[in-house]
Parts: sequence; structure tokens; C-alpha cells
Amino acid sequence: MQREQALQLVYDAIDVINRQLPASRRLAKSPDTVIVGPAGVLDSLGIVNFVVTLEERAGDVLNGPVMLLDSTALADEHTPLQTVGTLASFLETLEPS
Amino acid sequence: MTCGPLYFVADFNVETLAREVANSAMPGTAAQTAPPGPVMNALASGSPGPEWSAVIWTRPEGISGSFGRALTYEEPGTDAAIEDARVFAESVAQFGRGTRATFVISWVLPPWHRGYGPLDFHPRLGIARLLSRMNLTLADTLHGEANVFVLDAARWISAIGPRAWSDKLWYASKSPFTPAAFELAAADIAAAVAGLHGLSRRIVIVDLDDVLWGGTVGEIGWQRIKVGGHDYAGEAFADFQRALKALTRRGIQLAIVSRNEEAVALEAIDRHPEMALRRADFAAWKINWRDKAENVADLLAEIGLGAESAVFIDDSPVERARVAAGVPGVLVPDWPADPAKYRQALASLRCFDAPFVTDEDRKRAAMYAAQRSRQASRPAAGDLQTWRESLEVTVTAERLADANLERAAQLFNKTNQMNLATRRLTSGELLDWAAAAGHEVLTFRVTDRFGDSGLTGLVGLAFDGGRARLVDFVLSCRVLGRNVEDMLLHVAAARARAHGAAELVAEFRPTARNAPCLEFLRGSGFRADGERSFVWDLAEPYPRPAWVTLKLEVKS
Repeated sequence: MQREQALQLVYDAIDVINRQLPASRRLAKSPDTVIVGPAGVLDSLGIVNFVVTLEERAGDVLNGPVMLLDSTALADEHTPLQTVGTLASFLETLEPS
Repeated sequence: MTCGPLYFVADFNVETLAREVANSAMPGTAAQTAPPGPVMNALASGSPGPEWSAVIWTRPEGISGSFGRALTYEEPGTDAAIEDARVFAESVAQFGRGTRATFVISWVLPPWHRGYGPLDFHPRLGIARLLSRMNLTLADTLHGEANVFVLDAARWISAIGPRAWSDKLWYASKSPFTPAAFELAAADIAAAVAGLHGLSRRIVIVDLDDVLWGGTVGEIGWQRIKVGGHDYAGEAFADFQRALKALTRRGIQLAIVSRNEEAVALEAIDRHPEMALRRADFAAWKINWRDKAENVADLLAEIGLGAESAVFIDDSPVERARVAAGVPGVLVPDWPADPAKYRQALASLRCFDAPFVTDEDRKRAAMYAAQRSRQASRPAAGDLQTWRESLEVTVTAERLADANLERAAQLFNKTNQMNLATRRLTSGELLDWAAAAGHEVLTFRVTDRFGDSGLTGLVGLAFDGGRARLVDFVLSCRVLGRNVEDMLLHVAAARARAHGAAELVAEFRPTARNAPCLEFLRGSGFRADGERSFVWDLAEPYPRPAWVTLKLEVKS
């Protein structure tokens, strides 16, 4: 997957999740935006909604299942879910089925 | 206007819906979810308060163990499942009585659940059949509850398909539905709440060329425009006209704003044999070469509706943008380029959702046609009094009752201009207010020789010893200028005298729209007591317009 397409997928998922956040706390569509971690604004429900939404959209593009919601990954300091940028980088590594 | 806080009760994690409502569908609305635990316990605990509205959403297997067993292909206990639905509905009804309004979501199954396949509507086995019966039991049991509404979740699920549901979300967060499903649910809840507060749209203003028919009538003539016939676009335009006409049966008015020669356009409407909409179907029109935004504003002013009551449909993005910018408040939906999608685009609009459809709604198109005849008979200048007397106006006053409650509440919540206090109450709240000691609410029906204008007036009175307060004075602009407003004051004063009051006081509460009411009071003969207070000394009856017949069907 190309970087631009990967970023757009993440941004589309951000659009979905931002509907559930107050205007002042909405996620910026930027590679630096934190998804998981102390500086993130999403609580556990927000993260689950965000990741499952992204899994579906990425799965459509890659024509196969994409699994990002791994309970160990959420606690891992090297999780690809850290920021929008790391998430897009992870998506870039996935090959279409 | 605030629509009040919302309380969510569910047998799953409904937090995503609460957030969607509070942050997007109804921004600024306070939303709170019930503490975790059995739904029946939450319902039994009652609502947080009468100012709250509630949303109750459950899974059928969460409410009925018998239905849960049916899902695993055990012999369904049909009667037990129906009884579970009835008991649940009774609890919802009880809970709902303590709320401003309660919305209960119908039960659905995941779209991928195939049940018994071809046997799924089998009288004994069918799971889909059983669920349909449970939903009907829910709706039928709640039917008598004026402030409880069943919202159809099947529409959200079918719109989204399998992606409405996510087992992963269920396992990870105990929420079976996806954000996409909650987004649709929140939009419908917001529309229902808005409708309940009198904020539903009341008029659709349409362009003509390439909206009601294909082609430019001014160039090709009415004989060659596309509507009906053996042509996909012609069929689509005819179907769109029929869809608009169907809306009028829900009380939505139609009007035209179009750049055209009026005579040419009206000839097409009058003479084309396949036109589903005729001149009488439109409350008003502005067909000329002026700016469309100005035409929309003028048309709304003429028929006494605010911009927030109107929807404007035009095939031109430029005209849509002009009207959206020029008449803030008018809903201007994006409109598809393909006429085959017009009907669907219209049907998808939530802005017409209302808590009830009254007889007046169904007759409103005829009422506006009568109004046009009435206005046409009015002299442009000169002897207006003779004209008023010729109308043979009859006003019938009745007490607020179950039979007129829905229409009275609709009038109460939708009237802006001739409205003394602009209170907004649900039908249940209005009935409760009227039933309180020392209160009286009267409704007024108006007819004249041109037709029946229906229930178009309401007066709310509060009696306190020697002083009576005119709390509500509400009159539809449809009957303004026929001395009906004077008759309402006459009746209000007569009721106050009958209760032994010495004076009748009207306190005007200003809004952005009700200046006409202040103007009327200033010229009414009531004594001004400051800027906003008006008093009638009940030593004398308020004068009754002699040419208006009064039928007072109110017992003391």
C-alpha cells in the first residue's frame, strides 16, 4: 500500500471517531497525532472503535482481513498504533490478498 | 432552544451512541448513560427527571430468555417471548411517563443471521416471525403513551448491511453495533427530538425546470418537457412529483421558486396531462426572474413561515449555494444530478419527522388553496370591513382534550409569530399543565365560507384569585386578519370573568419572531403596563367582533 493511501485510510477512520469527540478534543489529521499512549485523547472505547473502523476500511482496500486490535499491541510501547504516522507505516507493509 | 438532556438505557455498551448524539447529531446536548446492570432494574429506577428524554435500546435475547433459546434453535416458546415483550413494554411505558419523551428502539437481528432460512417465517419455528411479533407487541403496548415512540432500527441496519454489526466490537467493548450504525441511529433520534419540539420542516420549495420536469419549459414549451411517458427520466420526474404530493398528506406544504415566465410555467402545470402536481397542490409560488434567495425569503414571509421551516430543492448548485447563503436557516440539501435519484433523496430527508400527523396536516393543501381564494376575494384597498363581514367566520372554542391534543400541541410548538410566550411543551406536558389547579387551556377552530382552517388558535389561562393571566396566546398566521385574534381575547376575558377575576394580564415574552403578537397587543385595547405587560379590566367584557360567530363548547 502506498503511503498516501495508508494515511488517507487512517484519516477516514479519524473522521468517524471525531464524531464522538467534543470539538475541542478532536484528533488532528496529522502523522504526529497520538492514537495510543499517555498523550492520546482516546479512551479504551474510542481506541476500539477507531481500530475496528480502520480494520474494516483497510480490509476493503487490501481485499482481505486486517487485524490491528491486539490486546498485547495496545500495551506495547512499540505498537504501530502509537501515532497516525506509525499506523500508516504499518499499513504500508501490508500486501493485498 | 434547548431540547433537554438525554438519558440512555441499554443492555449493551451504548456509550458510543451517547457520544455521537452529544458531539455530532445534537451538539451541546447533555447525554448520560444508565449505570451498568439489568435494563429492567434501570427502568424500574425511573428517569433522572421530567426534563430528560430517554433512549432505550435492548437486544431481543437480552429481554426474552425464550427468544434467546429460539436463536439456538431450541423449540421457541412463542407465547413466553411475546409475554416478555409485553412486560418490557409495560416497564418502558411506566418509565416513559417520568420523561419528557422516550424513544425505544425496535429489536433487530444481525443481517448475517439466517435463522431457519426458508422456514424463518414458519408459524411455529420462525425466528424472524417471532421477532416481528415481539416488535408489534412492543409497539401495540406502547401505542397509548403520548410521549413514547418506537424507532425502527431495521432501517439503519438495512442501510448499512453487515457492517452495522461487529462481533469484534461486542467482544472488545460489549457494543454490538458499529459507529456507522450509531451515526444513523443518532441522526434519527435527533430528528425525532427536533420534531417533538416543533422543529420539523413544514414546506418544500422547489425549482421547476429539471426538478419537477426535464427540460426548460420556456424554450421547448409544455408539450415537450419530460414528465411521465415512456422515458426513464420522464418516469423519474413523475415519480418525484408523486413523492412530493405524498408529503402533503403528512402536512408538508409545497411551493415554487423558479426563474421562468409565470404564465408559461403555470400553463405547463395546468395542462400537461402527466403532471402529478397541479396548481392547487402549491401553497404559493414565485415564478419570475428575480434573485432566488429574495424570492424564497418573500414567499416565506407571505405565508408566514420562518426560514427554519423550509427546505429548498434546486438542481443548480449555484442556486442552492445562493439560497443557503441568502436565507440562513433554510435547509438546502445536496441534490443528485440524476433525476432517477430524486425520489430517494427526498425520502431520505429526516427533517419532516414529527411526533404525529393530524387531520389538519392531511387537509393543509386544501386549506392553503382556500386561503388563496380568500385572499383573491379581498379588496386591494377600500372597504376591508365589508369583506371581513362577508367571510362568515365561525370560531368554535373547546377545552383541551385527548381528541384535540395532538393538533393543539403541534400548533403550540410550531407557531412563532402570533405567540405570546412561545413556550414549548410536549403534548403530555401541555395536558398536565392544563389539568393543574387554576389552569385552563382552550382551543379554537375556525371556518368561513371558503373552508375549514381547522384548529388554529389556543389560549392558556391561569387563575389566581382576582387576577387571571393570559399565559399562552397562540394563533396560526393562516387565520390572522379575520378578527379571530379579537375573538380569542374575548373568550379569554369571558373565562377570566367567569372565574371571578378582576383583571386579565398578558405578559409578552419576546423572541426573534413574535413581534406581530406585540404589535397586536399594543392595538388590542388592553392597557399597557410597561413595555411588555398588558392588562384588561374585567369590569367590562372584551369586545366581541359582531360579524364573527362564536360557538363556545366549554362548560364551566
